[in-house]
Amino acid sequence: METIEFQQLDETLYYKKLANGLDVYILPKKGFSKTFVTFTTKYGSVDRTFTPIGEKEPITVPDGIAHFLEHKMFEKEEGDVFQKFSERGASANAFTSFTRTAYLFSATDHIFENTETLLDFVQEPYFTEKTVEKEKGIIGQEITMYDDQPDWRLYFGAIENMYHNHPVKIDIAGTIESIDQITAEHLYTCYNTFYHPSNMLLFIVGNVDPKEMMAFIEDNQNKKSFKEAPEIQRYFDEEPLEVAIKEREIKMDVQQPKVYVGLKAKETNLSGEEMLKHELAIQIGLENLFGRASEFYTDVYDNGLIDESFAYDFTLEKGFGFALIGSDTPNPDALVGKILNTVNHAEQMLNVESIERIKRKKIGFFLRALNSLEYIANQFTRYKFNDMNLFDVVPVIEKITLEDVKEAFQSIQGESQQTIFKILPISRNQQ
Amino acid sequence: MSLEKIIYEVMHNIGKSGGIFLFQTTKLAEGVSLHIRKTTQFKTVNFSFKWRTPLTTKTAAERAVLSNVLQHSNARFRKSAEFRSYLDDLYGTMLYFDVSKRGGEHTVMLNVETVNDQYLSNQPVLNDVIDLLQTVIFQPNWKNGQFVPSIVEREKQIVIQRIESVFDDKTRYAQQRLTQILRPNHPASIPASGTIETVKEVTPASLTEAYQSMIDNDKIDIYVAGDIDVEEIQEKMKKAFQFKDRTPQKPTINEDSKPEKDYVKEFQDMKQGKLHMGFSTPVKFGDPDFPKMQIFNGVFGGYAHSKLFMNVRERESLCYYVSSSYSPHYGLLYVISGIEPKNEKKAIDIIFEQLDEMKKGNIAALELNQTRAMLVNQLREALDLPRGQIDIFDQYKDLDEEFSVELWKERWEKVTKEDLQQMASQLKHEATYFLCGKEAE
Repeated sequence: METIEFQQLDETLYYKKLANGLDVYILPKKGFSKTFVTFTTKYGSVDRTFTPIGEKEPITVPDGIAHFLEHKMFEKEEGDVFQKFSERGASANAFTSFTRTAYLFSATDHIFENTETLLDFVQEPYFTEKTVEKEKGIIGQEITMYDDQPDWRLYFGAIENMYHNHPVKIDIAGTIESIDQITAEHLYTCYNTFYHPSNMLLFIVGNVDPKEMMAFIEDNQNKKSFKEAPEIQRYFDEEPLEVAIKEREIKMDVQQPKVYVGLKAKETNLSGEEMLKHELAIQIGLENLFGRASEFYTDVYDNGLIDESFAYDFTLEKGFGFALIGSDTPNPDALVGKILNTVNHAEQMLNVESIERIKRKKIGFFLRALNSLEYIANQFTRYKFNDMNLFDVVPVIEKITLEDVKEAFQSIQGESQQTIFKILPISRNQQ
Repeated sequence: MSLEKIIYEVMHNIGKSGGIFLFQTTKLAEGVSLHIRKTTQFKTVNFSFKWRTPLTTKTAAERAVLSNVLQHSNARFRKSAEFRSYLDDLYGTMLYFDVSKRGGEHTVMLNVETVNDQYLSNQPVLNDVIDLLQTVIFQPNWKNGQFVPSIVEREKQIVIQRIESVFDDKTRYAQQRLTQILRPNHPASIPASGTIETVKEVTPASLTEAYQSMIDNDKIDIYVAGDIDVEEIQEKMKKAFQFKDRTPQKPTINEDSKPEKDYVKEFQDMKQGKLHMGFSTPVKFGDPDFPKMQIFNGVFGGYAHSKLFMNVRERESLCYYVSSSYSPHYGLLYVISGIEPKNEKKAIDIIFEQLDEMKKGNIAALELNQTRAMLVNQLREALDLPRGQIDIFDQYKDLDEEFSVELWKERWEKVTKEDLQQMASQLKHEATYFLCGKEAE
């Protein structure tokens, strides 16, 4: 077992790669009653075309399958796994993102038993045609729920505008039609390919003894046998740099118009510290241009173009990346004009005083976030899957210069990379 | 489980962690208490100020605007961007005002979280943060003895947009409609940000008056939690926050409020049907039967092992979410679910069927045990967050007893199947609200 110390942060991380390839990380937290555990596979909604384990030809599976699989993992022959966790007072849950599927629980008691349940239920699939059919009604209502949420529609509308081919533009849960095609056989194919321990990471943070816990996990894993797994082959079509659709709008039953400006990233092939620095530099740049202390913010706020829903964010994974900036607004066109004007003049507006101030703010944010066991486990895993280290965030922020920010920002600055997506109220257009 | 749900549970299932969970309370003035907790658990120091007054749509509106105006600027930083820059410089010290309600009371909260000095390589920030708080509270951005009209107008607009945005979130909107139908002219249906009409009536003069009244007449609780020296902080806080003595007004709740209709269906352009049902119970927060109602809610619809989840979702595949939540300050219980509009009757029937099962006593020992374990766990987990420690202490300090997780655990363990039968038979359905797409007719 390796021990990694982070002195300034007063944290010690324990790590071991098990014989079956599983990466296990343990971060003990003094004073906490809670323990939070995530068991994550590097498999998300974008992994739809791949070569199944033991096969030669690539296949494309129905949209929404990673999320469907996540739902079905909880159902076993003997019943629902939630029941077992509840008995021990543990709150279990799971989520599927573009690139990851995570299973998790938090508990203040029976940590070993709960960890065992987590490992076992994720490593013992049980799918039948009957249970798969039953789930279609439930997920169908989940999809319908999201369809009625303007914020979700705004987010995916902007992403759909940006991408021609990349599956990031497909809703994580799929559609009612696509999930209808899913069979138990599909689920086993995806499961066997992506849930091999060598494609997964276990993170434990909280009130635990690292040595005992590591031995317990190793023991559990040694009892199970897994086939030798070759590296997973995933396929993605070539994606042009320019956006697929420059501008689009839909109508919904809402009070206020909503708009997102999307900036598609050019640089999507980074990993490790280079990626960490690039991502942080773009976030710092966005805050300099659009944060609450910026000229832009003061202008649009005082002029009534934004409200409390104003937000900006940058997402980066292997193969895709984008910034989104937007708000509920009485005047989407005026707001879009101001956002794009700011993006186009970024070179002049990025400045060293703001960047130094934002660096301090981000360091403070990071230290605050370390109070949250959920943040640590989820972010650590996301970073690790991209060969980055969560605990490098502070030293990397400290090193970032104005030049780094300007250079990184160029990735999202091209005019052909910009898109606009609006949601307009129905009533307004009927008048 | 949704975030809202978790927060809700945190707010309503309270206790203290195993052994030491202590805020030391001192009086800064009559009606003003300072509660301090030293803990090495966190990398931050947390402050929370809570001003309380009886809840009406007028006070809610004034105070919602007031909290926005105070967050915007002050006498030291007259421009919002300058104020925000300064907070960034203090290692991104988080400072925000918020409004909420509890029972018949309205609360204005000022929450602040700053990095503990020991994790900063350069200069400490704690003293600067306390100075800043003093400014934010006592030195507002006034011109000619009142708040600046342009800022007031702008923040009124922001609050109005916040109220309007509820319409865009169909679950929140349906819940708001249900409470309006269920309890008209009652704190349960008064939003913490007031109504559009009452916000529009706010003027710089009325806002200045509301501010004075908040500072001089409200019941105030101030919390500090973090790795701090208790005596040193007490001294600093006493010096910085010199409030006058006051005798706070006690809130009253209009107990005559009853629904005019027991069923309302409304239409919007949307796909899913939002089913919201309201029930009443005589059991309220702090009553001897309160722990029984907490267990009842857990078994009925509070968790993934509950009767509603297992039957409406898992057995019948009618929905993605279905849950019950207990609002103990109003003696209300809500059931919500998102379904296909054509399944409305079927879903309602199964929900009542589950309540009947509980009346009949068809409750397994496992369901009881799971619920007890979940309640204890949630309480302990909540206490792992600085904000959780503050909110839990704040809610339970008024009960006339020493407060601990063990105490609540014991109470939940004593609850029997017969108790839950009794809770079920006392539960009275009062109103159902259904919101769905126009084509469903």
